[in-house]
Formats: sequence, structure tokens, C-alpha cells
Amino acid sequence: MNTDHLIERLGRDATVVNPLPAPGMRTALWMLWALSYLVVFAATMLAVASSAGVMPTPLYLVQQTAALVTGIVAVRAAFASVIPGSNNRVWMLPAIGAGAWGVSLLWAGVLDRHAFGTLGITSQSDWPCVVSLTVGGLVVGAPLVWMLRRGAPLTPRLTAFLAAIAALSVANVGACLTRPHAFASTVLLWHGSTVVAVAALCALTGYRWLRWRHTTILDRS
Amino acid sequence: MDEPQSPDEHLSRLMARAQQGDGDAYVTLLRAITPRIRQLARARRGFLGESDVEDVVQEVLLSVHAVRATYDPGRPLMPWLSTIVRHRLADAGRRHYRHGAHEIGVDDLDVTFQAPVTNSREETFGDSNALAEAIQALPPGQRQAVELLKLRELSLKEASALTGLSIGALKLATHRALASLRRTLLGKDEG
Repeated sequence: MNTDHLIERLGRDATVVNPLPAPGMRTALWMLWALSYLVVFAATMLAVASSAGVMPTPLYLVQQTAALVTGIVAVRAAFASVIPGSNNRVWMLPAIGAGAWGVSLLWAGVLDRHAFGTLGITSQSDWPCVVSLTVGGLVVGAPLVWMLRRGAPLTPRLTAFLAAIAALSVANVGACLTRPHAFASTVLLWHGSTVVAVAALCALTGYRWLRWRHTTILDRS
Repeated sequence: MDEPQSPDEHLSRLMARAQQGDGDAYVTLLRAITPRIRQLARARRGFLGESDVEDVVQEVLLSVHAVRATYDPGRPLMPWLSTIVRHRLADAGRRHYRHGAHEIGVDDLDVTFQAPVTNSREETFGDSNALAEAIQALPPGQRQAVELLKLRELSLKEASALTGLSIGALKLATHRALASLRRTLLGKDEG
């Protein structure tokens, strides 16, 4: 097909499209969904376990706030990454957020070492949290994938990675709210490695689910 | 009186109208940006041939069409467009090198091999009388299938409509007829 012919076909397919809302607005929309998930998940798990959950310490609150902020800035960055012409250093804020989250966990580990004389690395296996993070990440992340697919898949791997970090950060808060951890090292190792592994997997496969949708256009016109 | 618009403002307005479903504005916009895309593709990917450049131009146009909802009418169009072009050019470059890694360049390819046995002028079965006899000797159903599908070159659907046979039955009859012809003609050839 020559280019003039293609232009004519695209012109015939020029239906009304609503411009996507700004990344900040889309972030707020997704956070509503993510927070709803957190409330329902925490309420269900606490009701099932008949426990009062975790007693929050200031450092625990810092960790959860850092995780939640990482999720917010990561999802905002993911939304910005599918808008052509937006800032191409979108990954910087999530990197800072994730760094703060990691530092807060390391600091808690140092305090554990002072208090108990051990980091408690082998004290507790945390498979329930691995499952909770993965399943929670899928539940929170599914609408995010749908929202991102409305944008331009310019950097599918980066977008997928940021989206995974956002969904898993929220799922991590849910897991930490409902399951007490004796040592910060447990969270750092088990939660940290789950987040890194799942996010890496998403990044590797990102080009499969974030791709240009040309054939649909040609089929339709 | 309207203030004169800069070219970019003009394009932004065309895109805003295109987002509202104005096909004429959209065609005008695409015609206006196509030479720019072509120019960018030639400048940044000098190793691409003319047809590859045109492929890239078409891919960019399709990409623009697919993600036109991501354009914010309050912002200039060219940075938005340039980002799409840059990424599609990178994709084209990667594809070019990937294909290049699996292909061997040949300056002049012979139409056929040089050996005499490969250059026979006879490209059809030599004895047309034998072929006609063999077709006549086929059972009626198979003969009809061969005549309609192979000699008259009807489609399966047309042949099915004409004979009232199902497409599956026609395929089976053709398959059996060809196998039978092959046996008969090769048998004659060898004998």
C-alpha cells in the first residue's frame, strides 16, 4: 500500500477520541482502586485470622509510607512513560522512593541487631507473603495494564517494570499490615526478592503486552 | 482579526480537530507531517533504503493513529510527534540489523542454477495427450473435480455451488484424482 492510500484510509477511520487525562489524574484514579484493594484485603485477612494485625511502630509506619509513596510515584512514572514527549527521566522519583524504602528496612535491621543480637535472617520463612504479594500484585496491576495499553508503548520494558513496582508496593503494604514479621530482614529478603523477581519478569515480557496496535487499525479500515 | 498561527500551532489545531473526529483535518495533518517524518527517517537512518524509509513513514503514521488519544491539545505537536518518530526509527534500526544478521547479501542472483539439467525448457508434463487420456480415465466425480478446480481454476466455493458437492468432498476427490494421475503418468513414463 502506498503512503497516500494509507493516509486516506486513516482519514476514514478518524473517529472521535478522548484525549487521555494527565498522568496525575490517572494516578489518582488507580490509587482509588489500589486503596480499595488494601481496605478489603486487610479487613478480610484480619477477620479470617481473628487477629488485631500488626502493632505499628514509628519505623514500621515509615516503611509502609515509603512503600506506598514508591507505588504512587512509580505508577505516575508508568503513566508518563506512555505519553510521547513527556519527561524521559520518569524513573528517577521511583528510584528515590524505592531507595528510601530499602534504607528504612536496613535501618530497622540494624535496630533488630542491637535489640536481639541477630538479624534473624533465617528465623522465619515467608511464603504466605510471596503468594500474597504476587496475587495482590496481579489484582492491583490488572486495571493498570488496561490503562497503560491506552497509551503509547514507547518503552515497554521500563513501563512494565514501573507498573510492576507500583502494584507490588501496594500489595506489600497489604501483606505487612496483615502478617506480623519478627525481623525487618525477613521483609527485606522475602518481600524484596519477590518484588525484584516479579518486576524483572514483567520488564522482560513487557513488549508482549505493551505493543503497537497496528493490525487492528488495518483490519478495521 | 485572527492572529497568524505558527506552523506548529496550525498542526496542533489540526490534531485537536482530528481528535474530535474531523477526517479532513486529519488527512491534512497527516499529509503535512509525512514529508517531515520522511526527512527525519532519511537523516537519522541513512543506511535504510528508499522502500525501508517508506515503511518507517507508514509505521509512524499508523503509530500516530493508534495513540492519537495521548496527544494533549494544549501542548505543541512536534515534540509529541518527534518522540514517536525517534522510537519507531529505533525499532526500524533494530529490525534492520536483526534481519541483516540472518541474511547474506548477493550482488547478482542467477535466475536459475547453471547446470544444464536445471535449465530444461519443459516446465509442464511433456505428453499432453497422455494427460488428457489419464483425466478421461478417472472416475466421474474425480474427473469433474479436476476439471473444475485445476483446469477451469474455479475456487472450492464456486465448484461446490456448481456441483452441489461439499467443499470437503471436492478436496477429497481432487486429492484422489491427483494421486491417481501421478500413478498413471509416472507408471507410463517408467514403462
